[in-house]
Amino acid sequence: MTKTLITVEELDFTYPDGTPALLDVNLSIGEKEFVALIGQNGSGKTTLSKCLNGLFKPTRGNVIIEGINTRQKGVIKQLVTKVGYVFQNPDHQLFNRNVWSEIAYGPRNIGLSEAEVKERVEEAAQVAGVHEDTFDTHPYFLDKGLRQRVAIASILAMRPNTIIVDEPTTGQDMRQSIEVMNFLRRLWKEEGHTIIIITHEMRIVADYAERTIVLGQGRVLLDASTREVFSQPEILQETYVEPPQITRLSQALTSFGLPRDVLTVEEMKEAFTQAT
Amino acid sequence: MSYAVTITDLEWKYEHRKNFALKKVNLQIEENTFLGIVGANEHGKTSLVSAISGLIPHSYNGIYRGKVEVFGQVVQEMDALELATQVGLVFADPESQFTAMTVEEELVFGLENMGFELHEIRERLEWAAEITMIQDLLDKSPYDISGGQKQRVAIACVLAMNPPIIIMDEPTSMIDPLGKRLIFDILRKLKEAGDHTLIVIEHNVEQLAPLADQMLLVYEGNVDKIAPPREFFTDADYLNARGVVTPESTEFVQWLKAEAHVPPETPLPITLEEGIEITQQALKSRRQM
Amino acid sequence: MTTSTSSQAVQQGVRVAKARKTLLGHVPISSPFYKFHPVTRLIMFVFFGVIPLFIFVPEVNFALLLINLMLMRWGRVNLRGLRIYMPIIFTVAIFMFTVVILAPGNDPSYTPLQAGPITIYYQPVFFTFAAYWRLIAMLFGTILYFSTNRERDMLVALRTLRLPFIASYVIGLSIRSAGMFMEDFRTIREAEQARGLDTKAMRFSDQVKLYMMYLIPLFSIALRRADEISNALFARGYTLTGRVGRGGKRQDYIRSLYKIRSRDIIAIAAMALIFAATGYVQMRYGTFAIEHSPLNIWLRGQLGIPF
Repeated sequence: MTKTLITVEELDFTYPDGTPALLDVNLSIGEKEFVALIGQNGSGKTTLSKCLNGLFKPTRGNVIIEGINTRQKGVIKQLVTKVGYVFQNPDHQLFNRNVWSEIAYGPRNIGLSEAEVKERVEEAAQVAGVHEDTFDTHPYFLDKGLRQRVAIASILAMRPNTIIVDEPTTGQDMRQSIEVMNFLRRLWKEEGHTIIIITHEMRIVADYAERTIVLGQGRVLLDASTREVFSQPEILQETYVEPPQITRLSQALTSFGLPRDVLTVEEMKEAFTQAT
Repeated sequence: MSYAVTITDLEWKYEHRKNFALKKVNLQIEENTFLGIVGANEHGKTSLVSAISGLIPHSYNGIYRGKVEVFGQVVQEMDALELATQVGLVFADPESQFTAMTVEEELVFGLENMGFELHEIRERLEWAAEITMIQDLLDKSPYDISGGQKQRVAIACVLAMNPPIIIMDEPTSMIDPLGKRLIFDILRKLKEAGDHTLIVIEHNVEQLAPLADQMLLVYEGNVDKIAPPREFFTDADYLNARGVVTPESTEFVQWLKAEAHVPPETPLPITLEEGIEITQQALKSRRQM
Repeated sequence: MTTSTSSQAVQQGVRVAKARKTLLGHVPISSPFYKFHPVTRLIMFVFFGVIPLFIFVPEVNFALLLINLMLMRWGRVNLRGLRIYMPIIFTVAIFMFTVVILAPGNDPSYTPLQAGPITIYYQPVFFTFAAYWRLIAMLFGTILYFSTNRERDMLVALRTLRLPFIASYVIGLSIRSAGMFMEDFRTIREAEQARGLDTKAMRFSDQVKLYMMYLIPLFSIALRRADEISNALFARGYTLTGRVGRGGKRQDYIRSLYKIRSRDIIAIAAMALIFAATGYVQMRYGTFAIEHSPLNIWLRGQLGIPF
């Protein structure tokens, strides 16, 4: 087992208006994982993800991020260097007058020297593919894909071990989705970050996530490897999630020796060739 | 045969943009058919449907050439009210299409604009709410409901006005699995009833293809390909190069055909069920060999 | 999937609402306020908002404030939620008293009082004190209304009072935009927190600067949204001229759902009566003038300041 980064113990979360959002959630997130968080709206995905970086404090139970309990006071500045959170709509998180100060905002907040800030900005911009030419541009005038990358760069600049991305591919077409997902995969594979995505796109989950957590009505229904999760369509059915079409094709033909856990068309071709 | 929409040599350039969003588009859509539209973002899908709904040129500035007609009337010469009685429009972002304080007000707003009497408003409201399964939401604020619910409300608003043409611009792209499924259920009901011309932009081809009579690929501001779904998805690589995915079972059967695991005359599947059947045949015939 | 299973799925997706989201919070549907027509509630708002203008006796305005609080309790408003107004209540007090102490104006009839190194004049300070409680009474009248009413109630009330449809729609849209503005504001604050901003540890001047920063994303979002809303209006067949289809007259469906009952008439009559009576005694006899404040009389007695 790899090193644990985040531990969630008996977590309950209730909104101020009394709506219960999470009930008895227990899980841990390790180093260098790629996790997908799936489930219906209202299942608690976003609430859980906001508990995972300390934005929301537990109503009951604990969330411990690299040894720090999020219930403690005055730990915000420490927590943001451990878990980064990319919001769904980049417009909500771009509040500086140009791209450079946008990326520098986090490092400045945590009290780094200007030299360190500069180093962090350049590094993060480079990793996120934000070109120096745009440093003076107002974020409003960038296209949506680039705004999203600036948002991610501004998180990377704090060098968190874990990065949570809320619906990275919503409203994007195939090519844009592949672009952002490949970028997240690179952060995971090459830079060693733990990536947690919240998504409704099962193809994205099948193609990228190693582990999938299924939430339903505020509880964890399944928490296993993506392959294992998609091979249990009965439980998924409860949350109205359907595995990718190719997985269902293979599952319909298990009597011919096809496996239950095919994830992509390529895997299906291979499985077909080997089936007897 | 009568056409719901006729587009002749349509060209459109948004103000302050360099390139034309639509370049010499010609298209005819038969009445009461289902047209599925796919294509990469920024290639003109939304511009095309905006031109049919009249948002272009009525709500945007730019250069407009050519002609768009709905049931023989020229879109450019119709006002918002005339257009809304002919063409209903559902947008991608469930957040952005509401103007009222409760779902009920949202639904009746269009009906009041159309000048209906109170009892007619009530009947249409109830009818549209039932089809879209939003009866329990009428008293709520459009803020307080989920994205999928919002999108069903948006569809209900359009249905209540009962225009012969209904356009949906990526209605499921921002909502969760149950929400998506319910919207496709509504589309299926509408298609079965056969009383509307449906034009739907959607990235989710696996759900779209089985419903569509015709599939249309918009690429670089043009109608790149238009065909019934079974023909449309014959070349996954071609579509892929234009940023469009093919349903996974269709793509897989293409491979089966290419590798001669099934007879070359096998039609391409557009549903999972058809895909399963063809694959099963292939597995059986291989066993017998 | 058949319709019946879809409906079941829908049922599961819907949480049964016990409370209504009002402009400033949540109020249970069972709140007695909802037994009254929206127009009655709007008149109550005007009543509590205007009546303090007749009254310059701080004790009476304080009593009005207590009545407002009692009505909120009766209407099942969560009183603990009122804590968020404490900063504004204090800020207004500090502002008003600072101004009157530093710049009391110049009038020979003022009585100077020495409080350590500074000179305070009694008359303007007590005047400010009275004005302050009048303002707070009006504020609580407003909070009462907005805590127990939804946008929809307000619009129905305005239209019942014959406000043109388009005007009520514009009001509705502005409230809605304000709502979205607040929602965006909340998300932006969360996004800032997620980037290590700890507002509790900030100096006041930095907090002001921070509010300036919010303007950028708020306006970016508002600009993008303005287009969307105008498209939505277009798609619903709303013409700029307000032309209604079939050559008809615009019907008001939502308003037709509400009926004025006898309890509304009684409540409105009672408020009108109290209002008229208060106005009359104030105009005629000056009953609620500052000179009649028991506190004023007592303080002057203690300090030896004649009227």
